[in-house]
Amino acid sequence: MASVAEVKAAVDAALQQVSEGQAAIQAAREKLGEAQQSLAAALDGSGSDAVGAAHGSLSQADQSLEECLGATALAVEQAQNYTAML
Amino acid sequence: MSLIQELGAQLRATSDELPTGLVTAAMEKLRSATEILMWVRETSIDPVGVPQLGNATEHAERAAAALRIAQDAIATYLTQVGLTGDAAAPPDSDWKAGLERPEVKPEKPEDAKPEGEKLGPWWHQRIAQLTGEDAPEVNDKDQPQADTAELLRRVASGVRAGDKARLGRELHAASAATGLALSAVTPAVLHRLAGDLLGHEPRPEDVERLRSAAAGRVRSLLPGTSPAVLDTLIARICRVPVAQQGQSGHPADNAVTAGVLTGVLLARLGRDANTLDPNAPEPLRRPEAADAR
Repeated sequence: MASVAEVKAAVDAALQQVSEGQAAIQAAREKLGEAQQSLAAALDGSGSDAVGAAHGSLSQADQSLEECLGATALAVEQAQNYTAML
Repeated sequence: MSLIQELGAQLRATSDELPTGLVTAAMEKLRSATEILMWVRETSIDPVGVPQLGNATEHAERAAAALRIAQDAIATYLTQVGLTGDAAAPPDSDWKAGLERPEVKPEKPEDAKPEGEKLGPWWHQRIAQLTGEDAPEVNDKDQPQADTAELLRRVASGVRAGDKARLGRELHAASAATGLALSAVTPAVLHRLAGDLLGHEPRPEDVERLRSAAAGRVRSLLPGTSPAVLDTLIARICRVPVAQQGQSGHPADNAVTAGVLTGVLLARLGRDANTLDPNAPEPLRRPEAADAR
């Protein structure tokens, strides 16, 4: 039979995964920032549509990662509120 | 090296270093967390963060897609400026991203206590059901705890040896959190190994072939696992949409079965578990389809 301690421990195990996911997203955003700078420096002055598409996609990726982090923070808050009530 | 060659090399490097592997690893961790929370909250009307995690995973999927589009755009540009050699696809090393130790230690949630063995009895009970091997009476507490990547290698070694008792010992020796995290680190590895075994990217029509290559061995090592768990894993490898079941499965079933399936595919490929080490040389992909019968 499950106990409150077990439910809390299972939620903690899930939150540990979320926390590791957040760390990976943060690391990805840092690498993405470096890539954007590198691309901007290398392709300064280019009028190619492909270059514009690359820049746009990288900005889109960064925005999605930021939204991802925001959503994970809400999830963590909600899960912690739940376990606090148990 | 000419100026244009130098520019091409720089752009190729930038494209190769885009964090597609990190984003994929994060996505799988969020999926694994969702799976655990869905199981915890089943029948409760409190969402416990599950919808938010679903949103987070979708954002990560969109980010991964945007990164691929950026890589394609860079390849298109390189082709346009006459650098077709630099536009070739890079070697795929993303599949091991989930097995690498994070450079930055993730922050622990506030007031997180060491989980200790609160989930220990729950984990041992399920492992005993899955493997048919009871938990050892004396657990060697002095043995250093393996992280999830190390646990996967140990599980794969047990599978390769065909040693169910050893597999049971390795799984019992892991903490529940470490074991459950197998769900997060295995998807990209399984996709790659299946692709290597088949000789091409896994497709929906490969489901039957992979099932016949793995089912017997998985069943003999995990007599307590439901065939539906393996079917779902194979469907995901082959990118077949998986129908949402009415009830969430036990999260340990998916994690353990995925770990064992990884070992079975490695054994089929004749590879050692150490090839899963992120620092191990990239295994050669066989151009011809392997005999997966």
